[in-house]
Amino acid sequence: MKAKKALSLFMTAVLAAAMLTGCGGGRGTEETSQTTDTPAAVEETAETGNTQDTETAEPAETEEEAGTASSGGGIVGVALPWLGTQNWAEAEVMFKEQLEAAGYEAIIQAADQKVPQQQQQIESMIENGAQVIVVGPVDGSQLGSVLEKAKDAGVYVIGYDRLLENTSGVDGIVQFGRVKTGELQAQALLQGLEELKGEAPYNIELFGGGPADPNAPNFFTGAMSVLQPLIDDGTLVVVSGQTDFTQCATVDWDNSKAQSRMDAILAGNYSDIEIDGVLSPNDGIARAIITSCENAGQPIPVVSGLDAENESVEWVWSGRQYSTVAKPTNALVAETVSIIDSLLSGNGMPATEVTANNGVIDVPVYELPPVVVTKDNAKEVFADDPDRLALLTD
Amino acid sequence: MKYIKKVLGEDLRQYTMVVALAALIIIFNIASGGKMVTSSNFQNLISGNAYVLVLALGMLMVIVIGQIDLSVGSVAGFSSMVMAITARQFNLPWYVAILIALIIGMIAGAWQGFFLSRLGIPGFITTLGGMMIFRGGVIWISNSISVPVPSELKWFGAGYLPEWGPAFTGMNNSTLLLGIIAIAVYAISQIKKFTHSGDVTGKKEEFWPFAVRIGIVTIVVGYATWLFGSGRPGTSFPIPGLILMILIILYYLITERTSFGRHVYAVGGNKSAAELSGVNVKRTYFLTMLNMSVLAAVAGILFVGRSTAAGTADGTSWEMDAIASVFIGGAAVSGGVGTVIATMVGGLVMAVLNNGLMLMGVGADKTQVIKGFVLLAAVAFDVYNKKNRG
Repeated sequence: MKAKKALSLFMTAVLAAAMLTGCGGGRGTEETSQTTDTPAAVEETAETGNTQDTETAEPAETEEEAGTASSGGGIVGVALPWLGTQNWAEAEVMFKEQLEAAGYEAIIQAADQKVPQQQQQIESMIENGAQVIVVGPVDGSQLGSVLEKAKDAGVYVIGYDRLLENTSGVDGIVQFGRVKTGELQAQALLQGLEELKGEAPYNIELFGGGPADPNAPNFFTGAMSVLQPLIDDGTLVVVSGQTDFTQCATVDWDNSKAQSRMDAILAGNYSDIEIDGVLSPNDGIARAIITSCENAGQPIPVVSGLDAENESVEWVWSGRQYSTVAKPTNALVAETVSIIDSLLSGNGMPATEVTANNGVIDVPVYELPPVVVTKDNAKEVFADDPDRLALLTD
Repeated sequence: MKYIKKVLGEDLRQYTMVVALAALIIIFNIASGGKMVTSSNFQNLISGNAYVLVLALGMLMVIVIGQIDLSVGSVAGFSSMVMAITARQFNLPWYVAILIALIIGMIAGAWQGFFLSRLGIPGFITTLGGMMIFRGGVIWISNSISVPVPSELKWFGAGYLPEWGPAFTGMNNSTLLLGIIAIAVYAISQIKKFTHSGDVTGKKEEFWPFAVRIGIVTIVVGYATWLFGSGRPGTSFPIPGLILMILIILYYLITERTSFGRHVYAVGGNKSAAELSGVNVKRTYFLTMLNMSVLAAVAGILFVGRSTAAGTADGTSWEMDAIASVFIGGAAVSGGVGTVIATMVGGLVMAVLNNGLMLMGVGADKTQVIKGFVLLAAVAFDVYNKKNRG
């Protein structure tokens, strides 16, 4: 009987402790009653209260630091889609270097092209107290609720290289002019055709980027604004007849998919004619296209590109790939870091005239001009880039 | 040891994963400087993984009947994409959209169930086909472009319970209410069990293990309630978590308390014996596959709700996470063994690993490696234990 009584007393204490813990923690400002009836409750409250404190303290800290961060300091999260192409791998290194040089603590994570992974990474950056999160999205339209969570937590969100759609939780986008990029690719293609392939008409094919990336249709639209009039007047002939973005798109920007598509097009349409040119949205796909043409015994067509990847810079230099468009990662990262500086020193987003509607709000866009690279101007373009300049030697 | 057994029951083995889970949470909390056990992180943990756990519920039953379903990710992606497109095209209200997704899931499940149960094509092949069909379907119908979903769906994937009542509780009162209900239901079921414990054997259970049991559950649930409820105002135990909870209870009851549940285990344990004792094997196969795809549709809804758009890569390799959860939870590859609760613990182990490593800034590459080792270790431990027991 005695034991039973003791136990029921113990149980009551446990229950009381559990209930009081519930009441004791409170929600920051709402905190009204810090009940301290029994020693057990005090201990529990103190212990759990701590977790609560660190958590509620963070937003306050954020504001304070934001006010005084002109001297450097602050936590910046960078969520990248993956590290599988050179520009993203470079971005990872450069963000780390430039953010740390500016005195920030950088949390950089790549999501292996998986949306759920990226959502959780962004959440973990919020948990880690990031004040600004730079997001190069896997799919710009699928981060809606997560970015709104960041906004609620008082975190600035900057889209890097791709538009963040379908959410109010974005403060600005830093990217290279998108429609412009496509126009430049198309102009370089035309220039190459005139230079290398004699008189019109020219047989060409069109490739688009990954459809999940909102930039890809924009590149394509930009390119088609240049090419379509010439297709209509017969200067250019798209032999396969595939001119819709959805027909030309390359899922996930996957080079091997582009190569298969090129193989199929060549086998189906070019058994007795030569291909003169191909619009390619990036360098990896450009090389896949060139390889496919070589395997099919075709002369190398004029192919456009994008990103100035090392291998393509060599190919441009040796004449296998006619052109690429350089979007110097360095410049884009530097622009992003300067925006972060402005935000964390309390000056808000810098002024810009360009905005883009992301489906929910108009987002300020900070655009940088891309540069066409051919064999002729490669040395000038990469004058400040020792790594790539070194590729132009032989 | 004797005392622990009295509290927890004879089979302590089932608690190893629970202990591992608790250890992981504590280790990560220390290693990340207290960032693991916070209201917002636990809310993230639940809303970010609810879809995998929902898939794991269905996958458990599929694995118990000795099959495997590789198509769940594709079915989830397909049903949510059909939902997104039709809802956008015809401006449908959200509840009709959800209904459409569930119906698509049902049709997909019936399709797979038909090939498995009527034509006898192994589940691996049937669902490998399904995986390609539905993945291709997603890309086809969407023209490879992500489609926004009705904004109300965000509530299902990332929403919170309403705030009401007095502020002095310092918590989200909906969460508090849930916690109290959970404790009360457990206590009542235990009290019932305790008062009837002597009815058959005549040997009344001791009082103290019963009291300690209720005490432990009260503390754990109470703490969880406080953790989830005391976050930033406007947040609570997440809606996807609530949906998951309801499904867990439902599937716990189905697998443990219904004749269909017993049939599932019977078919998985020994198909011919089950058949001879009058179990309709074909029906069991069919319903299990059907159920799996409907749950895949639910998972898809939760995910696109959280993402605010249906994407073309949605569901890619989700089946692997679901399968891993089931096996970490101790299910047998040969079928017939595995429980709902253990599977959920297995799924949470993966989720906590993922979350903890991310908080510590470990990259996706290394996280994959670690998860792979954990899967191997968990299953190896299980196999080793079984061998040693008999």
